[in-house]
Amino acid sequence: MNLNTDMTVNRITDEIWEIPLSEKPGMLVPARIYATEGILQAMDSGVFDQVTNVACLPGIRRYALCMPDGHWGYGFPIGGVAAFDVQDGVISPGGVGYDINCGMRLIRTDLTLADVQPHLERLMTELFRKVPAGVGASGFVRLSGEEFGRVMTHGARWCVERGYGWHRDLVRMEEGGCIERADPSIVTDHAIQRGINQLGTLGSGNHYLEVQVVSNERIFDPVTAAALGITGHEQIVVTVHCGSRGFGHQVASDYLKVFEKAMRRYGITVKDQQLACAPFRSPEGQDYFSTMNCAANTAFANRQVITHQIREAFATVFGQSAEALGMELVYDVAHNIAKVERYAEGELVVHRKGATRAFGPGSPELPETFRQTGQPVICGGSMETGSYLLVGTDQAVRDTFGSTMHGAGRTMSRAQAKRTVRGEQLQQQMKQRGILVKAVSMSGLAEEAGLAYKNISEVVESVDRAGITKKVAELRPIGNIKG
Amino acid sequence: MAWTFHFLEEIALADIGFEAEGESVEEVFRCATQALLESMANPATVSGGWERAIERSDVDPSALLFDWLSEVVYWKDAAGVVFREAPLTLTREGDAWLLRARLIGAPVDQQIQELHADVKAVTKHLYELKQTGGCWKVRVVLDV
Repeated sequence: MNLNTDMTVNRITDEIWEIPLSEKPGMLVPARIYATEGILQAMDSGVFDQVTNVACLPGIRRYALCMPDGHWGYGFPIGGVAAFDVQDGVISPGGVGYDINCGMRLIRTDLTLADVQPHLERLMTELFRKVPAGVGASGFVRLSGEEFGRVMTHGARWCVERGYGWHRDLVRMEEGGCIERADPSIVTDHAIQRGINQLGTLGSGNHYLEVQVVSNERIFDPVTAAALGITGHEQIVVTVHCGSRGFGHQVASDYLKVFEKAMRRYGITVKDQQLACAPFRSPEGQDYFSTMNCAANTAFANRQVITHQIREAFATVFGQSAEALGMELVYDVAHNIAKVERYAEGELVVHRKGATRAFGPGSPELPETFRQTGQPVICGGSMETGSYLLVGTDQAVRDTFGSTMHGAGRTMSRAQAKRTVRGEQLQQQMKQRGILVKAVSMSGLAEEAGLAYKNISEVVESVDRAGITKKVAELRPIGNIKG
Repeated sequence: MAWTFHFLEEIALADIGFEAEGESVEEVFRCATQALLESMANPATVSGGWERAIERSDVDPSALLFDWLSEVVYWKDAAGVVFREAPLTLTREGDAWLLRARLIGAPVDQQIQELHADVKAVTKHLYELKQTGGCWKVRVVLDV
């Protein structure tokens, strides 16, 4: 087998591969990669190097994991999952990423393609107007410092209290859209100033808002789909992919600096500066955890304000209220986060970086609404190929600390994508294929071309076959907004 | 002057990497700053009107450059601006390097500016400032 590494990689099953302890000095646990053989062969060398670096971190338990959408990141690979004991383990901003609680949400509607197609141009223009995107964009919500502090502690609940959403939205979010142990008093002024005007903004890069269609033939589990409000028959749905914006980016930058110094004090050495960490129980570790939770709550609030704007845009275009249009939230998941969860080993700090929580139907942490189906998992593909709705499994809880993939994963650099296709040309080609794109930056659009990503269907197949999530439906794009 | 930097292809698939070089530390600061400004917007399409004077010092020029580039990213979000230019000087004050810079730009305007990536952070991933022969080089990866 031809791999982009000299390390020994042993086949455990057709979808699970293991790098043994012998492959790098300092590894405390083996590394496991979830992928088909084809996906594994295409993985860049950074994945193998980074996942084995993670396996060297103090207090890691069982395995350092990488999901099939894995690629080179900073510190952890994108697609990385690792769990550390709360007593003797560490917490690392490199295991969460700069965009804290970057995540996805899915909103259903009662509309069909036939209802929307004649109004698509107007709908996308209205969405583009109401959801600011791109460099330096600010939102319509104006906050005092005190009020921003309430966003940090209350997350999406703050939005619902202010009329930006419905109370029943909250049950359909990871952690109810509000993570406890968030302490705004230790957030730096720099982080506050970067984020205070950005609530309700999309950002750029791989962030997007997409109007999509669900066809009957692309529903793989009709019973679960129906239970989640996905009925097919060319049903229109909307997905949103974004995070905590400048606020979260600054929190990550602030604490990488703090942890570089803390490591010297605690005698911790790491294989990569971006794996800077501190003992979870240390003052620095606890401060990062509380501040990261502030950013995570701000991300939930950001996606909630965007949802409010989406509902208003649909109501304007179709002349009915969002409730009459059936615009219920299906779910909201975090892709970049560290959380304390209980497993066979006890309480662990589970880091997911470009990975999704995937709790199965048996998980007591899930609200009653998802006790039959398992937790919804939303995975974004490229803007040309669409996304998938999946559900978590009890096997994921047993095998992968309740985690699965988050998206397609890149295979081509941004520079190479721009050399291969021009933004204007891509926009035109996509229009001919029935996908209307509104973008702030044409170069940014070219960077996100479908050819720069793995085939999401193959990535989804591998986690489905490995049993750590189950396919429910594929969501095909007809309109996309990019920063 | 001719800016000496190039964007890197294969070290950061999802992000932006660049290498900047100069005959002096000051010149490499200028080139790296220009690469960062161009990553966010085409400076030629940005008028002036917004300005900040920034002064920072550090005994370690590598740490100073990292902090300076991070400061530029901070102002992009905090003031909602993109940048036209950032004239700077770098001098020695005892053991320390002293950076005096002016950050010049304008509020984001999607109608008139050619906008590029919304940079989230300057990372330490593969970050390195070094002197090779008579030349200073820095490698920077931006999270976008």
